[in-house]
Amino acid sequence: MNAPTPAPSPADVIPAPVGLLAELTHRCPLRCPYCSNPLELDRRSAELDTQTWLRVLTEAAGLGVLHVHLSGGEPTARNDIVEITAKCAELGLYSNLITSGVGGALAKLDALYDAGLDHVQLSVQGVDAQSAEKIGGLKNAQPQKMQFAARVTELGLPLTLNSVIHRGNIHEVPGFIDLAVKLGAKRLEVAHTQYYGWAYVNRAALMPDKAQVDESIRIVEAARERLKGQLVIDLVVPDYYAKYPKACAGGWGRKLMNVTPQGKVLPCHAAETIPGLEFWYVGDHSLGDIWTKSPAFAAYRGTSWMKEPCRSCDRREKDWGGCRCQALALTGDAANTDPACSLSPLHAKMRDLAKEEAAENPPDYIYRSIGTNVQNPLSEKAPL
Amino acid sequence: MTAQFPPPVPEAGQRLLSHEELEAALRDIGARRYHNLHPFHRLLHDGKLSKDQVRAWALNRYYYQAMIPVKDAALLARLPDAQLRRIWRQRIVDHDGDHEGDGGIERWLKLAEGVGFARDYVLSTQGILSATRFSVDAYVHFVSERSLLEAIASSLTEMFSPTIISERVAGMLKNYDFITKETLAYFDKRLTQAPRDADFALDYVKRHATTPEMQRAAMDALTFKCNVLWTQLDALYFAYVSPGMVPPDAWQPGEGLVTENAPAEPGPAATPTAQPAAFSGSDVPRLPRGVRLRFDEVRNKHVLLAPERTFDLDDNAVAVLKLVDGQNTVSQIAHTLGQTYDADPAVIEADILPMLAGLAQKRVLER
Repeated sequence: MNAPTPAPSPADVIPAPVGLLAELTHRCPLRCPYCSNPLELDRRSAELDTQTWLRVLTEAAGLGVLHVHLSGGEPTARNDIVEITAKCAELGLYSNLITSGVGGALAKLDALYDAGLDHVQLSVQGVDAQSAEKIGGLKNAQPQKMQFAARVTELGLPLTLNSVIHRGNIHEVPGFIDLAVKLGAKRLEVAHTQYYGWAYVNRAALMPDKAQVDESIRIVEAARERLKGQLVIDLVVPDYYAKYPKACAGGWGRKLMNVTPQGKVLPCHAAETIPGLEFWYVGDHSLGDIWTKSPAFAAYRGTSWMKEPCRSCDRREKDWGGCRCQALALTGDAANTDPACSLSPLHAKMRDLAKEEAAENPPDYIYRSIGTNVQNPLSEKAPL
Repeated sequence: MTAQFPPPVPEAGQRLLSHEELEAALRDIGARRYHNLHPFHRLLHDGKLSKDQVRAWALNRYYYQAMIPVKDAALLARLPDAQLRRIWRQRIVDHDGDHEGDGGIERWLKLAEGVGFARDYVLSTQGILSATRFSVDAYVHFVSERSLLEAIASSLTEMFSPTIISERVAGMLKNYDFITKETLAYFDKRLTQAPRDADFALDYVKRHATTPEMQRAAMDALTFKCNVLWTQLDALYFAYVSPGMVPPDAWQPGEGLVTENAPAEPGPAATPTAQPAAFSGSDVPRLPRGVRLRFDEVRNKHVLLAPERTFDLDDNAVAVLKLVDGQNTVSQIAHTLGQTYDADPAVIEADILPMLAGLAQKRVLER
């Protein structure tokens, strides 16, 4: 009799990816200081061509991807955005346009609708136009956004409003909810800033205090009840004040892949901040090979890389140890437990850091832009 | 409510029944004895139990759930060939899961936790009724000691597991406002297992019960199993409904619970359950733009794609959504399903109305 082969733990099985975040371009008319793009932005000349994107989408569909998030930067800044959207429709991929609604977005909207676009996620920086335009760093953005939203619902496309929350607009949470209802959105994302990329640089200017965060949660919960069946509200809490970390991108290399404008494939949009990871490019490898074989995806997939307290934790396959990039940024080691977790020995210090920053007067924003020489905070010593 | 079964075969046990007659006789046992007919079960189904009564049920039933793989392992150990073992071992996988946090037992623990129990208290089984323990243990012994045919036949209560939504555990528990959505979402994942299991067992019994005596033994085994389930509900009724005689050492309301209102970090907590926007039979449901039912060839299942979300669907939901075309009314959909599954359209309609309302509340269905 043969000895039974133990079934592989599901943590070791490579699941099929569900979502593809297609960062079509880093170009964007807005300059939000919490942008999730990397500090070093890709220039237009480095962007993938149309044929390569169409191939990537075809390969993604074959791998089991269901949702494609057409993002950026501002995805409508690409001239081939309609062609790319039509390809998604042809492949049965669910296309989600993540847009600022400014610049050329409105002019292309009808063509995107005709191409079979499934859903629009529109960012709104604030409710009050003046403050919204200060955050986004673009004059006259707000009226363009309102016009864009009106056309989305006029066409019958489902609309989600995305509001990134920070100390500059946290008092506007009720206003965002009213605005979503007024614009006919079906969903609202009240997403507290996640501190990576530009948001990490601007953290002191963005971090709200705990009382403000609690109040925003209370408001959202009350609105959910009041608007049941009318508006779905998704809430992302700031993890500096959380008890457990989020399963970043649904777990490293488990659900999502992110293709940058120049074709680098990342397990999450901030993964490039982790030194020593080898990323593969769609120009050199098939998407399937990248998903299953590339060193960057293998590095933190599953649980075998974990240290304590993650390694023996009941939640290790729930939140997969939280965010690697945040662990690196704050603790200096990407394999440490995300300090957003209350089980991390560094959690209290992280919370104190947030409290201290929130208590001080906010510094000016450092606006996102291509070619700005921003000091990479990760080259400094980890703060915890 | 129950589908119409053919009348019992009067001379069963005296002559060899055809496969069809044997199946009819087995189904008749369920039609008369399956525990969905028990008064306690009816109270549960109709939403008439108190929170503590539901707790008593969840706590006791955990012991049954926990011992099922023990029973199946005993049976597996006696199966003579690899093919049979491969089929039967799937039951153990279904119950135990193939990793920590997965499987039917874990789902039951989640349910018990969902009604307020501390996990360790449930695991200890210290608060269960003696009648629960005796019944379940009798079942394990029966399967270990009787013939293989009887052991397999005793599993055939799965034939009577409900297929309509409201009769399934998650469906019943929806009537209780203290059951959170999270508890149900976790619980309703895999209820397509039972029919698959029962098909195999029924086929085995038909093929291996080759004499009138063996057919009689198979029927008796199924009757025994029905009694195992029935007795557990008798005991629950006696202790926690009427006359309310809780035996010494059995669970008393208030015991074994996690302290309520434990201070928690603010987070996306469950919103209190409220009645969703109601649908009626004459409404015409439709999927709005941006919501699509799609067959996922890579994962070999249907999914409902919606903004930033993918809904996993059970077989019932798929059957309903395939008929949602912006033309059919709810009543017409129920009628079509009634013909397909040979069931009462009125019952189906009552089942699918809350499901449709639930989807509407998530903004993925309109009318």
